[in-house]
Amino acid sequence: MNKVFTDGLSFALPLLIIAVGALYSEKSGVTNLAAEGFQGVGAFFGALAATLLGPVIGNGNQAIIYIAILCAALGGALFSLIHGLLCIRFRANQVISGVVINILAVALTAFFTSAANSAISGNASNKFVLDVSTRFTIPLLSSIPWIGGIFTDMYPFEIMIAVLVVFLWYLLNRTRFGMRLRACGENPQAVDAAGANVNRIRWIAVMISGALCGIGGICFAYSMIGNFSPSIYQGFGYLAIAAMIFGNWKIGPTTLACLIFGLAKSGGLQLCIAAKLPSNYMDLFLMLPYILTLLLLVFFSKKNHPPKAAGEPFDKSKR
Amino acid sequence: MGDYIVEMRHITKRFPGIIANDDVSIGIRKGEVYALLGENGAGKSTLMSILFGTYEPDAGEILVRGQEVHFHSSTDAAACGIGMVHQHFKLVEPFTIAENIVLGVEPEEKRLGVLPWMNMKKANRQISELSKEYGLEVNPTDRIGDVPVSVRQRVEILKMLYRGAEIMIFDEPTAVLTPQEIDFLLQIIDNLRRNGKTILLITHKIAEIKRIADRCAILRQGKLIDIRDVADASTQELADLMVGRQVRFTQEKTAPNFGEPVLEVQHLTVKNEHKFDVVKDVSFTIRSGEIFAIAGVSGNGQGEIADAIAGLAKIADGNVILNGKEINDLNVRERCLSGISYIPEDRQETGTIPDMTLQENLSLREYFREPFSRKGILKQDPFRDYAEKLIGKYDIRCAQGPDTILRSMSGGNQQKAIVGREIEEKSRLIIFVQPTRGLDIGAIENVHRQILEERERGAAILLISLELDEIMNLADTIGVLYRGEILKIDSADRMTTQEVGRYMMGVKEA
Repeated sequence: MNKVFTDGLSFALPLLIIAVGALYSEKSGVTNLAAEGFQGVGAFFGALAATLLGPVIGNGNQAIIYIAILCAALGGALFSLIHGLLCIRFRANQVISGVVINILAVALTAFFTSAANSAISGNASNKFVLDVSTRFTIPLLSSIPWIGGIFTDMYPFEIMIAVLVVFLWYLLNRTRFGMRLRACGENPQAVDAAGANVNRIRWIAVMISGALCGIGGICFAYSMIGNFSPSIYQGFGYLAIAAMIFGNWKIGPTTLACLIFGLAKSGGLQLCIAAKLPSNYMDLFLMLPYILTLLLLVFFSKKNHPPKAAGEPFDKSKR
Repeated sequence: MGDYIVEMRHITKRFPGIIANDDVSIGIRKGEVYALLGENGAGKSTLMSILFGTYEPDAGEILVRGQEVHFHSSTDAAACGIGMVHQHFKLVEPFTIAENIVLGVEPEEKRLGVLPWMNMKKANRQISELSKEYGLEVNPTDRIGDVPVSVRQRVEILKMLYRGAEIMIFDEPTAVLTPQEIDFLLQIIDNLRRNGKTILLITHKIAEIKRIADRCAILRQGKLIDIRDVADASTQELADLMVGRQVRFTQEKTAPNFGEPVLEVQHLTVKNEHKFDVVKDVSFTIRSGEIFAIAGVSGNGQGEIADAIAGLAKIADGNVILNGKEINDLNVRERCLSGISYIPEDRQETGTIPDMTLQENLSLREYFREPFSRKGILKQDPFRDYAEKLIGKYDIRCAQGPDTILRSMSGGNQQKAIVGREIEEKSRLIIFVQPTRGLDIGAIENVHRQILEERERGAAILLISLELDEIMNLADTIGVLYRGEILKIDSADRMTTQEVGRYMMGVKEA
């Protein structure tokens, strides 16, 4: 049982930060299917930084992880400029832009990973090997029956993401910037009439989105996967988008959705282990979160309220 | 001439293909209500958009309080104390009234000296006070999506007041309102004037100008025709100046020549989505050559009666009989083909497909049959020929001919297209719902003439309108609807406007 919570959370929180990233973009009126690509490219930049810095400051030094997270955020934001350029500047179809960016991300990171590896070590591997982040257990809290697992074997980034998400909720719902951002996704004409710059707000939102997705990506690389390789593209970005939709584009419910997905994944795995099923059944159980997504979306997405202007380029002259 | 708060001198603005403003000069005095009168497309909105900074003029200069200004955006204009209520409101539906009002000028404070936050409590209080001061009662915490159009308009006015605007532009503010709401709005405008605000009112309704405006500039096809003191100008004069020819307010009607009954509605009941009877036990008959008008205040079931006859709403109880045959179970197309034409209230939702071309919209009643379509394949030429024929016959103005996207056309021309399409079917029954809503005088005259022509042809006409004048002008028989019930049916020449008005308010037989 403890394991379900421990693993569930370490999956749910990176997922959540990606979902919130997608949410920021969509709330500003830019549909974001590119979350998958953003998180992969973010992870690439983070892993590259870790690989380059490892020999300098000593492998195993945990400080590398924080530098990697920072670089992942910057890299994600940098890569998201392509989405901004296509969707905001050139008013391209935002769905197509998202899909294209995802394909581009896989190709670019695979190429540059092997290029970087052959430059560094002469071995053109498509993998950056990373240390797994250390874990810690909070005394007392971890011995609470049933839910003690939440506080057992935590990754430091889990705390970081939780704090960040609270801050992001505040930014979106309690500040001037957040209010304008949300208004851009509902009626950009109103924002324009109020004297604010719609496209600038959207640019910022898309870059925040890229940064947050990048953080999510590197956290996956440092926990579940333990390296950076094309296996980072497992559809976490899409799952995060599903969580955002299921959470009705609100941070609170989206958090809940991510937790459900996380617990379904770890619960399925533990069930499989407890039932002593052969390992080839594992994949079947790993499907659980996705099947859950499908069912939940079918039943709960009807009454949802997506941002009204999401997907529409801002046209000043339109009435 | 130094007493003008706003002066626009020799303004010229060209758009591809047209000159929207041609050397227009106007001067507005502080504290007056200054009306811009003109038909749709006369250039009123463009001129005001220039003053509000949305467009920059190609030539000419603008002076505000004696200083020359160059506005590059509406923000510049707002900084000069100019505000505008657009025809299409610029509001964010999931936001509260207060959030919409403060958007762009949010009351941001620092919590603990560092953390920025918005003091919405303070904003709510300020807006409450402001709304009381000007008689614009709103509840600041209501969501825009939950409040009616008239309240949304008040929010737009409050937006300007909150920003401290001194010069307020209203673009066709009454187009979306019911008669009672119009009265209320005009009171508000009067209030604003008494508080020293300067009001610019764009409109094509002369009655409103007569009631509220001090002076009035008349524009036609981008040119300034005249500037008049409203008190010295008659309605007829203003109308003639606006249209550029003699306007007839009442149409000559020939003596009635009724034939056999075309439409019989018997004990019709229609329910809305909440299972509430919006139309209750309504019965009436329309004969060929007769205009039967349903009068009533908006929202009393008019639209539902029309929808039930046309097949868009389900008949809960009762019968609809067309040419002696019951049509309750026919679908919409079958009803159309058995001789119903329908000009619905909402042009863009029900009447047309706004993002398709004019020729496609004009063929909506025909596209599925020969010669437009053969064995399921659409033929291009018949569409174009048919569209060209209708464009000429009904004088539909369209920039790119049959290929014009309908949405880009003016409301009046969209309506001409719908009326043309429906009349061209030569149906036995024609239903007109609010046929002149939002149209200017010339277009109204045109629609009224067409309704009377159809009457002479021998069609049975159901006219549903909120404009009492229109009903009194056209109808042979009037039924007054109140809360879904018909309170009174009588021949039009036996009823006075006052009587009809009383029944509309729910007063039964005295």
